[in-house]
Formats: sequence, structure tokens, C-alpha cells
Amino acid sequence: MSSDLFKYNDEREAASAAKVRALEALLIEKGVIGSDSVDAVLDHFEKIAGPFNGARIVARAWVDPAFKQRLIDDTPTAIAELQLPVGMEGAEGEHMAAVANGPGVHNLIICTLCSCYPWPVLGLPPYWYKDPVFRARGVREPRAVLREFGVPIGEDIEVKVWDSSAQIRWFVVPERPANTDGFSEEQLAALVTPEAMMGVALVASPTAA
Amino acid sequence: MFTRFEEYAASQMLGHADSPPRSQGKLFFAEAWQRQLFGLTLAVAKQGHFDWEDFRQQLIESIGDWERLDCAAQPPWDYYERFFAALLQVLERQQVVTEGELAWVLADRPLRSHE
Repeated sequence: MSSDLFKYNDEREAASAAKVRALEALLIEKGVIGSDSVDAVLDHFEKIAGPFNGARIVARAWVDPAFKQRLIDDTPTAIAELQLPVGMEGAEGEHMAAVANGPGVHNLIICTLCSCYPWPVLGLPPYWYKDPVFRARGVREPRAVLREFGVPIGEDIEVKVWDSSAQIRWFVVPERPANTDGFSEEQLAALVTPEAMMGVALVASPTAA
Repeated sequence: MFTRFEEYAASQMLGHADSPPRSQGKLFFAEAWQRQLFGLTLAVAKQGHFDWEDFRQQLIESIGDWERLDCAAQPPWDYYERFFAALLQVLERQQVVTEGELAWVLADRPLRSHE
């Protein structure tokens, strides 16, 4: 019976929650961790380094063309202007470089040799990012790969493929979608996805959702 | 190379059998306790109580244990239940917790609703 299954799942989740809570209390009581250690770790993923930083950078670039130019010319210096969370500029972020999509150009980020990824601005890479097939095809036939992601790129548009490495970690400034006149930076940032900043998606227009 | 333990720990798992669920660049937790467990595990490892690679190997083993169960005996798949089992095994092996403490953690207790 489906209602029995739901009840079973609810009880199972509640039992797991109680056990995790007991373990945390025990480890704090024993002095293994501090009372704020868990929050500090989670904060790293939820507040310090993640796709919310990249979205803010892109939103600023959309509303401020001079910032956008500085971002392309000297990415770390431009990012420093934004006062993003302290600690976001770790080793994975120190050599970031932005490339911008435009009317005649679409950028795609891959990483053929490793899994180099600008974590501080994009967060955790998706499952397929480390897939050797994606890496190889991204170089060999980027248009076909993009088509499969639902991003058909016309023959009149140049596709540039950027290979992230330990030296440079690329991210894309996608094009600002239509129907966003008058949007605040915060509203714009909410539209930006990590996939758009990898070049495997476009930022959807709010009315197209 | 990572200077932050959090990023090292998460990156070691990506693309492997123990890869955590994620969505749009963020860790994906279906339940609040899963988030708490993930943070707890990293926090204990960060303090040096066990080696992250040892935990990963235990997690892969814990996932394998579930896969080897007969379908009839298999509980529905839950990544973070496997994660929890792996953490408890590593904590006991490293003598961070005693057998008695482990039994206390796993004891049935009254459940709160909406967790």
C-alpha cells in the first residue's frame, strides 16, 4: 500500500535524523568537534564558495559594461571589487579567467586533463564533467555536444572551447536574457545557473520559464 | 591542489562510486539530517580523527554492501544511510567512539515528527 510505504519512509527518515543528532551530541560532548564545527564546514559550501558567487559576478557584468570589460581583462582584480565572501579565493580560484558570450560567439568550458574547475564561483561540478567522453567530445565536436545539451549554436556563431587547467580556470559570462529590463542585480543573479557559466546552457528569459 | 579541506574532501569523491548527490553546483540533501551528517563527517575528518581516504574507501564498501543484498532484503536506496554506516565504522575503527557509545547512537529512541 502506498500509504504504508510513505509511513515507512517517514519513520525511516526520522530514525536516521535521531541517530545523526545523537552522534553529533556525543562527539561534541567528547570534545571531538566544537559545537560550531559542523556549521563552519557547511558554511563553506553554502555561503563562501559556490555558484552564488558566480551568479553575482555575472549579474554585475550585465548591468555594468565597464565592470564586464575589467572582468574579461583581469578577472581576479575585477572579482575583488565585489567583496564576495572572505575565503572564496582559495587555490582553486586564484587563476580564474572569464570569457563572455556575445552575438557572434559562444564559449564552452571543458577540462581535458583533469577536473580543474573554478569552485569558488561555480560550486561543485556536475556528474558528467569528469566523464572522459564529455571531455573528448567537447574538444572534437563541441557543436554536437551543445546540441545535446539543448543549446543549438548556428553555423554563423563561433564556438570557442576553453580548456581549464591548473593554470587557468575559465568560466563564461553568458548573455543577458530578454525581458529583464529593470531587474535588480539580485533578480538577475537568481537567473544565472552554473551550467550557463560553463557554456552548456543559456540563461533562460524569465517569461520563457 | 586545494588549500581548503572542504574542497579537497568533496573533490576526492567527484566522479567516483562515492560521489555525493548534487544539483546546480550545490550539494543536494533531500532531508535536513543528510546535510547535518555531511557537515558532521567533514568536521570530524577536518579535526584529523580519521583520514578522508579511509572514509571514502569505507563508503565505497558500504555502498557495495547494499548492492550485494538480495532485492527482497534491500531497503530503498539512500546514499546518506550508506554514508552514515561508513562514518560509524570509521569512528569505531579509529577509536573515536567506543562500542558502547556506538550502541547508544544506534539505539531506538522516540521520533520527532517532520524530520
